[in-house]
Amino acid sequence: MKQPEEIEQIVHNAAQLLPAQGPVTAFAFLNSLQALEHLPFEEGLARGRDWFGCETYLSEVRYREKLDRGRIRLVDLQETLRQELGEHASEQVGPHGTVFDLRMAMLANPVRSAPVAELNWFMAETDAQRRYRPEVSPEEVLRLSEETRLWALRDVRRESNLHWSKVFPEINEATVDRWTDEEWRAFSLRALWEVCAQGVRELPIPLARCTAMRHRDLLQEFNGVDCDEHLHEFLIPFCAAFIDQGLATLPLPQREAGFWKSFSALHRARPPVEAWLQKLPQTLQQLDSFSAAEIIARQLEDLGIPDREAGEFLTRELLALRGYAGTLWQGEDRGDRFGRPLPKRTLLEYVAVRLTLLKLALAHFIKDVPGCGSVAALRTHLDKVLPSAPVTTLAERTFALFQIAQLMRWSAAALSHLTAEQWETLISEVTRFDDLQRRRMFHLAFERRFRVQALDALAIHNRGRTAERVAAPRFQSVYCIDTREQSFRRHLEEICPSAETFATAGFFGVAMYYKGVADAHFQALCPIVVRPKNYVVEEVVYSLAESHRLRSNARKRLATASHQFHIGSRSIAGGALLAAGLGVMASVPLVARVLFPLTTSRIRRTVGSVMAPPPVTRLRLERLTAEPGDTGDAIGYSLKEMADVGERVLNEIGVGTGFSRLMFFFGHGSFCLNNPHKSCYDCGACSGSAGGPNARALAAMLNDRRVRALLIERGIVIPEDTVFVGGMHNTATDTMTYYDLDLLPRSHFADFEFAREQLDAACQLNAQERCRRFYSAPLDISPVDAMWHVENRTEDLAQTRPEFGNASNAMCVVGRRCRTRGLYLDRRSFLVSYDPTIDDEESTILGRILGAVVVVCSGINLQYFFSYIDPSGWGAGTKLPHNVTSLLGVMDGAMSDLRSGLPWQGVEIHEPVRLLMVIEALPAALEKIMNRNAAVGNILRNGWMQLALMNPHTAELSLYQNGEYVPYVPTIDKLPQVQRSVNWYQGWREHLDFAQILSTTASGGKTPFSPVVAAGARS
Amino acid sequence: MTVFSILGLIVVCAPALLVVVLGVASLIDRPLSETWTQRAVQCAMGVGLVASVAILVMMLAGNERRVPIELGHWVILHDDLPPPLIATSHHDEHTLYHFAFKFEFDRLSVPFVILTFVLCGTIGAFADKYMHREAGFNRFFVLYAVFVLGMVLTSLAGTIETLFTGWELVGLSSTLLVSFFQERPNPCRNGFRVWCVYRLSDAGLLMAALLLHHLSGEGDFDKLMGTGAWPQGAANLPPGLAFTVGLFLVLAVAGKSALVPFSTWLPRAMEGPTPSSAIFYGALSVHLGAFLLLRVSPILALSPVLSIVVCALGLTSAVFARVTGRAQTDIKAVLSFAAMTQVGLIVAEIGLFSWLSRFLSAPYLLYIPLVHILGHGCARTLQFLRAPTLLHDYGVLENAIGSRLSSDNSLSQSWLSERWRIAIYHFAVNRGYLDAVLHRYLVDPFLRVLRWCDRMDDRITEQVNGPVIAKPGEVPALERPVSGSLPGATTLS
Repeated sequence: MKQPEEIEQIVHNAAQLLPAQGPVTAFAFLNSLQALEHLPFEEGLARGRDWFGCETYLSEVRYREKLDRGRIRLVDLQETLRQELGEHASEQVGPHGTVFDLRMAMLANPVRSAPVAELNWFMAETDAQRRYRPEVSPEEVLRLSEETRLWALRDVRRESNLHWSKVFPEINEATVDRWTDEEWRAFSLRALWEVCAQGVRELPIPLARCTAMRHRDLLQEFNGVDCDEHLHEFLIPFCAAFIDQGLATLPLPQREAGFWKSFSALHRARPPVEAWLQKLPQTLQQLDSFSAAEIIARQLEDLGIPDREAGEFLTRELLALRGYAGTLWQGEDRGDRFGRPLPKRTLLEYVAVRLTLLKLALAHFIKDVPGCGSVAALRTHLDKVLPSAPVTTLAERTFALFQIAQLMRWSAAALSHLTAEQWETLISEVTRFDDLQRRRMFHLAFERRFRVQALDALAIHNRGRTAERVAAPRFQSVYCIDTREQSFRRHLEEICPSAETFATAGFFGVAMYYKGVADAHFQALCPIVVRPKNYVVEEVVYSLAESHRLRSNARKRLATASHQFHIGSRSIAGGALLAAGLGVMASVPLVARVLFPLTTSRIRRTVGSVMAPPPVTRLRLERLTAEPGDTGDAIGYSLKEMADVGERVLNEIGVGTGFSRLMFFFGHGSFCLNNPHKSCYDCGACSGSAGGPNARALAAMLNDRRVRALLIERGIVIPEDTVFVGGMHNTATDTMTYYDLDLLPRSHFADFEFAREQLDAACQLNAQERCRRFYSAPLDISPVDAMWHVENRTEDLAQTRPEFGNASNAMCVVGRRCRTRGLYLDRRSFLVSYDPTIDDEESTILGRILGAVVVVCSGINLQYFFSYIDPSGWGAGTKLPHNVTSLLGVMDGAMSDLRSGLPWQGVEIHEPVRLLMVIEALPAALEKIMNRNAAVGNILRNGWMQLALMNPHTAELSLYQNGEYVPYVPTIDKLPQVQRSVNWYQGWREHLDFAQILSTTASGGKTPFSPVVAAGARS
Repeated sequence: MTVFSILGLIVVCAPALLVVVLGVASLIDRPLSETWTQRAVQCAMGVGLVASVAILVMMLAGNERRVPIELGHWVILHDDLPPPLIATSHHDEHTLYHFAFKFEFDRLSVPFVILTFVLCGTIGAFADKYMHREAGFNRFFVLYAVFVLGMVLTSLAGTIETLFTGWELVGLSSTLLVSFFQERPNPCRNGFRVWCVYRLSDAGLLMAALLLHHLSGEGDFDKLMGTGAWPQGAANLPPGLAFTVGLFLVLAVAGKSALVPFSTWLPRAMEGPTPSSAIFYGALSVHLGAFLLLRVSPILALSPVLSIVVCALGLTSAVFARVTGRAQTDIKAVLSFAAMTQVGLIVAEIGLFSWLSRFLSAPYLLYIPLVHILGHGCARTLQFLRAPTLLHDYGVLENAIGSRLSSDNSLSQSWLSERWRIAIYHFAVNRGYLDAVLHRYLVDPFLRVLRWCDRMDDRITEQVNGPVIAKPGEVPALERPVSGSLPGATTLS
């Protein structure tokens, strides 16, 4: 028996594999296989397939669709295959042709398979035996049938070749001489089938048997009984009640006592009616004196699990209900992200309960397994009696070869001469290149296609271009690295070429717990991996304090009433009164909200504004005590900490000099209704919250003269007349909010108004560009209409796609903006500002940037990747039946596991490729960083991300492959050029290729902005 | 043809045409595009709504209480046998069997039809955006059209056969929408469960219809329910018979309206897309049982015992749903139990008022449950549609109140001992054990009988044909436990 400490360790290790997503209200983007990042990518995928039972590649059909649409090209397949095969490529296989040819044939053309009955029907009833596959040209058909004719008439007709003449008796008839071409063609196909059948007949077909570890899988294989189904139906309501954050009004008794105690208290006294649970009270009473780990150890023994299998078995049991298990673990491990955290050891106790129930279920269902005496013996017994089945059938093999022979243009004659060994090689080549391998090849080719395009574009765009910043910028603005901001920046630079833009991770170095003036709780505004130390609150200015008190009291009274109303509508008397008295009135908001969402919401907002907090507020930023805390004077940052934050951000974006008079920081967030997954549209660097307060805090810090003085000591001189403004970009409605404008000096009004005009115009164009992806928006929508369209989407209760978030992400460029300025990246690229010329020998700045960016971006990218590839396995499936549970997550319909991952409507337009990271740095710098930071090293070295480097001096590219930096040679020498990006994007709904935008490269002067209306199709 | 009959025909034909248009297009594998589907839906709903509102206005203006519209007598069997047990009034000739499609516009059916059109129209517009680009878009709207037709037929039915037709269409489309996501096992399993309960309820309705036919030779409500227009009718059945017919009707009502002991199908029906759950189980089809009771309220009025039974059933369900609903942790279950509470209450009201109205001769009392149905339907639909906003709403409330929302256990539970609290929670979280009880004491015995038949069948076959060799581990289909009966997902690829 395992020791309790070992059990605890096993459960702790297994917990790392569980979805680490936490509450859906603070969606954290993470690699679904984060716990396997220490393994090479493909090994991780294999492990993931096995453990999670999910797909890791798209289906072959989907890849073929991409092949047909040109998203994958044949040349990508060829190159990928050549690289994969190496020297093996030129080995001969079959009558003629190489392994490479064989695999290419299988990739370029679908080789179908079907159950035997269908195959027999197919061969008998369709023209498969009369017509060659469409890929074979008429000339080749003629040649093949001529070859077969020669063989048939010369070799087969001879008495000596008795075997074949028995198979084809018609050859010996006299009429054979008068056969038409058509008849010979049919004969050549029939002969091909027979020869293939003959060839594979002698080769053994391996047997496969169920090797599952869990009792449930074996039992299901045996007689179709799924004991998980019974188990989960009983366990899920309890888990949901245990994690409930306040949805149910009747609380779970003794919740505070822990999972096991609470479960035991509930079920010890009375047995449920279900037959399999009759012994539950008595079992619970027996086990009550043991600790959770001891119970697990005992149950493992009763279940017949030997010690060496305990780890794997427990992991698999945990993953069977991974949504709930993951939430239990997160509630215990990251209590700071939960309103009502869960007690320690919750997951361990959950496992104890689960195994106890499992044993009861098995003890009940074992009666359907003849000859098995005890639960402990069940696995060995089933292992013995479960039959093994051949992995394939003769007919399937023959059919595969029959098709391949046609694709390879092998005639029956040629095949009939193969020796037994040659047949064996051929079959093993074909079986080795199975469905999974083909999909893998397709996937690599798909990634290559995008990689080549992206690197080509970067190489061409930077050829002969000197790297320099915008001279004398009118204003500067700093954004999040998000792909959504990339298009915004491009539009801004098109409208106003004298604007300079930067990007850094959207928490702007200000990792804090933040509480807004109308908020009830602190929330963490920083990447999920960081646990902040500082607290910041927003306060109404002193002069408006009284008005604030009145308004917040009014809000409180209204909310209390509205809460009572909600609760009351479910009660008997209250509900009756409401329904009978006011119910019919509900039809008014019902119809209004569905048919006129925007107008309704504007009316509601106007009414609500009476009670909104007063408009003038401040952040309480400066701390008076030595240590940070969440109350009173302990709130905020010390001056030194502020200077640290400021120095860090300015260094990362590479601005030590060249400040303009006005510099903006824009956080971003997204607001939309009726969407439990709203948080996944918010800033990933702020743990799924809006990043506005961070931008505001940074601006306030840098505006502080004392902070500036400290910065001067560190070599950063901010001119007297530079003013920082914080703001927020709402990525759903494409609107901007600016903070603390009442502090803007009079001298800067004109600068601000100029900048605001440009930014508003950029908002409109950005909305227009986003609208091209929405099928419900017209193709040639104008920027003004686009603004209306996107705002309408966010207010619509029926809208399941308020925006697409980062769904189009595929690459990330870390480097100076001049490397990508003027390049149309189709909102596919994260952009991170980094100036290699001001970094030190050790690449400290780059190391710090990559430490955050690599983890965050790979989390976002791989979350999309997996959620798209298997939407119901890794992802949350379609949103339509989602059912908010325990205020923490969603279930599918009436009852299911908690669904982690992204919903299908959010990933629909994604292209699943690993992120292509392009960094403006030298190989040596990167090697140092990968050695220093294990997380970054794992992700990059193990291929969870593709890596390319751009030489800071020559702009030449090199690709990181198998530990080496291989110089990249561009495959094109010219990029398409358009005047403005609207010419490129409008009229097309799918992904777009790269192009050069000319209007951003104008000199520093101001070009007046005129909204572009329907500027025609893309060139 | 009067204006009334033209309008009446429009009301019935609008959804019927929608079914034909969407259905035929799907049958010939040329489903309409999203835009055209939406146009057809809006058009049918708009026309139907306008026509039914016009009828209401005309009825109010002209003080018409009842407008019957007949679509011909489909079957009339005459006979020379003794007249039926009860000689109905206006009965000139003795008919053994008589089957007619007849619609009746009165103060019960017209409000209900208007409610149907308003809610279905709104949900139609909602679903257009909500279901956008979903693979089952067309299927959803075909089923939706069938549902609307069923609702209109049921509410306007002037004969029990017409009512049964609509009742069946509603049941069929509801079930298929529960199992809308047919690639997952749970929706199919729960859809099947809903279907079983519906069949049981249909059996009750069918028995009641049969009895009524047997008694009077036809199923026309106006004949059975007496002369007055709703709610003033007075049935002319002997009280004993009224009680028997009434009991069958109560079975039908209990199944359709999720009363105890069939309640638990309602939360299980929340498998489909949110708008379908909202409209079917929050607003319309769950009220059909109550509607049926209102339609046959004269029968209830005849038998005080029956009224008491109905009233008690309604109250029990309301209390059950209230207690159970409080322990639910997912929003759709919470809302469905809340709906069940109100439906139980409505049923109780009907039981009480139909008897009271006769006792006090105050028929207008029956308007109370009708208004209750209409109000509850609208309010609950809005709540269902907003269900995904729950997290946002809770956040807003918490922010305004300034603390975590408390669960109100202080008042109702503080006087209970810990033991009772646990007992109540146990009852609530297991949904009153109804599922398990039904399964153990109704389904299992039934299955045992079937399995016995199966074995007998096998034995006889064996004697005729010689022994059948079964593969090891293979269990005959009926031997598999029913809740796990979906062999389903053995993927071929």
